[in-house]
Amino acid sequence: MDLRTIGVVISREYATRVKKKSFLVTTFLVPVLFAALCCIPALIMLFNKDEQKIIAVVDRSGIVMPALESNKEVQYADCSVYELDSLKAGFSDSIYSAILYVSPLNQEKSVDVSTYSVKPVGVSLLSAIESQVELAVRDYRIEQYDITGLKDILDEVDPIIEVNTFTISEDGEDKISSTGVYMALSLVLGIIIFMFVTMFSSSVMQSVIEEKQSKVVEVLLSSVNSIDLMFGKIIGVALVALTQFLLWIALTTVLVSGVFAVVGKDKLMGSMEESSEVVQQIPGNDPAVAESLAPAPQLSDVQEIMQTLDGIDVPEILLFFFIFFIFGYLLYASMFAAIGSAVENAEDSSQLQMPLTVPLMLAYFIALYSWNAPDSALAVWGSMIPFTSPIVMLARIPFGVPAWQLGLSVGLLVLTFALMAWVSAKIYRVGILTSGKKATWKDLWKWLRQN
Amino acid sequence: MSLLKIDNVSKSYGTKVALDGINLEIEEGRIFGLLGPNGAGKTTLIRIINRILIPTQGQVFFQGHPITAEDVMRIGYLPEERGLYRKMKVGDQAVYFARLKGMSTAQAREALKEWFIRFGIESWWDKKVEELSKGMAQKVQFITTVVHNPKLMILDEPFSGFDPVNVQIIRDEILRLKEQGATIILSTHNMESVEELCDEIALINKSHVVVTGGVDDVRRKYGKNDVQISYSDAGGMHEDIVSLGEDGNPNKVLQDYIAKGVRINSFKELIPRMNDIFIKLVKEG
Repeated sequence: MDLRTIGVVISREYATRVKKKSFLVTTFLVPVLFAALCCIPALIMLFNKDEQKIIAVVDRSGIVMPALESNKEVQYADCSVYELDSLKAGFSDSIYSAILYVSPLNQEKSVDVSTYSVKPVGVSLLSAIESQVELAVRDYRIEQYDITGLKDILDEVDPIIEVNTFTISEDGEDKISSTGVYMALSLVLGIIIFMFVTMFSSSVMQSVIEEKQSKVVEVLLSSVNSIDLMFGKIIGVALVALTQFLLWIALTTVLVSGVFAVVGKDKLMGSMEESSEVVQQIPGNDPAVAESLAPAPQLSDVQEIMQTLDGIDVPEILLFFFIFFIFGYLLYASMFAAIGSAVENAEDSSQLQMPLTVPLMLAYFIALYSWNAPDSALAVWGSMIPFTSPIVMLARIPFGVPAWQLGLSVGLLVLTFALMAWVSAKIYRVGILTSGKKATWKDLWKWLRQN
Repeated sequence: MSLLKIDNVSKSYGTKVALDGINLEIEEGRIFGLLGPNGAGKTTLIRIINRILIPTQGQVFFQGHPITAEDVMRIGYLPEERGLYRKMKVGDQAVYFARLKGMSTAQAREALKEWFIRFGIESWWDKKVEELSKGMAQKVQFITTVVHNPKLMILDEPFSGFDPVNVQIIRDEILRLKEQGATIILSTHNMESVEELCDEIALINKSHVVVTGGVDDVRRKYGKNDVQISYSDAGGMHEDIVSLGEDGNPNKVLQDYIAKGVRINSFKELIPRMNDIFIKLVKEG
């Protein structure tokens, strides 16, 4: 092993890849995408808020209009004096975004409600209208019984139950958690590490094939030991992957904090929380009652997500991402390098690749299954077996994995990598110089035993 | 002391024997022709010298000691199947190969610039290899083989793919490098250039060295000791080939003809061409 020549090989592998247009494009576009995913929902809510919608209400029942409450988003205008048809005729020139028509009370002491608008009415507005009308009709019916205090009694009877989920950390402190957040995180981590391992290890294979096919390898081997060449390439590509990942983190952070700085973090967070309060009211009960009944402080969905994210140990997840990516990549990259050395061109490689792509795909599917059942036998075994563990374990990590399982999994992965690196190097050394016929698995076995 | 000594080297892949007990010595400052039909084991031998392959048996000595990785840094190898990274720029690529041979980036740039100017190809520096013609790429590859000033150069079919003008340029470069003290192993099927350039040769056939020695010695050895005499008499021009037999005396033949009273136009020893020797030995073997 010659460190100087390995260094020269690494620097070429690194430099040629980092200078590629495709690398620059993905490196700089993905953070924009990430940042957009983080900021756009908040921004949309922020800008939507300014635009108050005015709804023309034609109330033929006489009980709904008084019960409608205008807020920052919607203002209800009583247009009961106009005919529906004349309103519809002049609608396009009016300031109204929609017409809400409430029919006279029918025999079931209920009303029919219709909306008319040019653009479809949004789902949240629609459900807000629906619940307010329901509330108005309900109150009207209660009044019809003419029993004093019945309304209060019924309000008290209506239970409002919201499940708050907490996770208990090792120091006994409970953290508010949203299972949905863990699921999403698990999914994202599983997919990212699968993509990284697959992408970068097949890049190693393609590069091995390129050198063999173009016959550059003969000259290279007169200056570099084949093992040094193989590992130089693998390490070079690993550095490219790490560079890309670090740049993604750094650029996303910069972009997100840039948006926060421009718009103001409080305003952004505030917009998300306020709009979620509106959503909160939809269940249809008096918020005051809800508050008095609920034992724990009510959290909006967004607050809950924010708090769950706050409670996640980001450095720990990043640490394990690096560990599992590095060793998972090293394991697969060395095997893919061996396969690359055995074939004449990329088309021939698919057959020999099969035994490597199958466990990768398997790992991917177990990871997708894991966010549903992170502690199921399948997920646990998948996160132990070294050929699937990097991907499956990452999908399990957000839910919390016992330290001994993490340790065992990493240990097995490192050992398997060491073994497969040795096997791959032996195959590579012979394969890279063999040309002519298409290699089979039998040939690889023969090369492995050759001195 | 010889620069390179190949001592009883054998190589087998499983049961297939590629080289069997090869012994060769290559003197410093010589051009050594490595000849042999396709599949004779030349490439295997060259790979063993470059330490790309490990011999099953025997050893290679460089300047008297078993060859090391450091010695290989002082070898320049131009393989028969040329290969450059197609997508990489010519200059970057040449610097890369030079660095692999132990030069620093600055040294490599300086030496390469000199060679590029000598070949009049400075404008190629920033081109990608895929933009070059085959002959142009061959030139670049030749430069990458010699740029680190190697003591030993192994050139496998260095003239293939070149037009006659470029063949002349490469030939002159080889002779210039020899003058500067480099030792060159020339593996080729072009027997004319063997006669023209090589001091010594070895012919390998079916994993064995069939013949080795100085080019002239080998040619004489396989000659039938014939002379060609052309003369004119009253009947016009004639040409005879006379066999001298074992240690025959050419003077005697000449005297015989003079005695006949003919006019002698030319008289020369018939030495077989390397081409004929090659074909004869390979067919016999």
